[in-house]
Amino acid sequence: MPNVKTTGKKSSNTLVRDLVNVGIFTALYIVLAFLSSSIGYIPALIVVSTCSIALVTSIPMFLFYIKIDRPMLCCMLLCGIFGTAMLLMGQGVLMLVICLVIGLLTGICLKVFRKSFVGLFLANMVMSLMSSSMMLPLWTSTEEYLSYTRTMCDEGYVAHLAELSQSYWPLIGIYTFGVLGAIVGGFAARRVMKKHFERMGLTR
Amino acid sequence: MKLDPRTKLFLAVAANSVILSAPFAYSVLMVALPAVLLLFERKWKLVFSFFLTYSVAGLGFEYLKGMDLGMAGTLVVATAMLAYRMMPVCVVLYYIMVSTRANEFMAGMSRMHVPNKATIPLTVMIRFFPTVFDESRAIGNAMKMRGIRLFSLQTLKNPFAILEYRLIPLLVSLTKIGDELSVAASTRGLAPETRRTCVVPVGFHLQDVVVFVYCIAIIALFAYSRVSV
Repeated sequence: MPNVKTTGKKSSNTLVRDLVNVGIFTALYIVLAFLSSSIGYIPALIVVSTCSIALVTSIPMFLFYIKIDRPMLCCMLLCGIFGTAMLLMGQGVLMLVICLVIGLLTGICLKVFRKSFVGLFLANMVMSLMSSSMMLPLWTSTEEYLSYTRTMCDEGYVAHLAELSQSYWPLIGIYTFGVLGAIVGGFAARRVMKKHFERMGLTR
Repeated sequence: MKLDPRTKLFLAVAANSVILSAPFAYSVLMVALPAVLLLFERKWKLVFSFFLTYSVAGLGFEYLKGMDLGMAGTLVVATAMLAYRMMPVCVVLYYIMVSTRANEFMAGMSRMHVPNKATIPLTVMIRFFPTVFDESRAIGNAMKMRGIRLFSLQTLKNPFAILEYRLIPLLVSLTKIGDELSVAASTRGLAPETRRTCVVPVGFHLQDVVVFVYCIAIIALFAYSRVSV
């Protein structure tokens, strides 16, 4: 066939497939992240809500990592689009930067460890840091974040947030719970992979 | 009435920035715009019920938000907030999804010199939000027939089961749809390095100017009110 390029590059067909997959999983990620973070409206559960995000999103993310051929590009795009969506929802530029850095790190994890379980697991853990960072402005720019929340929620909730921002322990708690959720979710995802996806041939 | 895809993007950004932070008076002015645009798309029922819910929630929220209400109150306010702040944002996005064909969106983006590698995932994402909800609803119905519900005693006993029964069928069907979509796209010559042509003429007209001026006017008013206080 004369039209086939033989430049040693991967064919552009798989590139289109990768890009389409990025689109699908970004949509899914945003929907799931918003649904599972909504338990954070109960003030006692604010710190734990990151855990639920990481737990719920780890199964789709495992499937995503397995399905893509170009980890760097795809993870950067997914995180970039997520960051832009966050920017539209009223988060700061800091969030976008964090998202891009985390996308890069996730890509590196996948690139170094290939698609072994360790690689997927590490990538998932790094990715959980992204959804945990949604609360970061509460500590980095407290006043702005509080006045932003004040337009969204009642005074009781804002007072609770202000109380949280007094010490750094809740911040550490948020990240710890996020990573914990990713760890539990990672093992669950491995079981699901074995039980469902490999049998259906989706992991190819 | 047809708007340029770029105008719609601007509308989304402007509407989000006003709706998410402005008080009711400015927010309602901004919300009126997508509502009118949706009327042009003949979504009478949707616009009516949306506007009613929005105004009730908005007024209730403005009344309640200064108080310390405790946990139950936070839940009520959070629900009102969802209807008051999040729903309009979703309606703007819904308008964009309903009124924009994928090829127009891609043409608009390529006019703005956005690389195809970023445009394709964005287009797919916008197309997929409704699909995610549709599929999820269908799977929910199927599971209800088998007696598996989202809120029941059985679910509380084993929360992982709900992930397995709801999320995995969703993932399977979405990846299937995605694979078919990417095959269909590449047979139509969608590739990152090609430049596509578009049958529909994309360009700015009078209605685009009106939307731009309206958005900028509201943002300017809102900014002025902030500065003068």
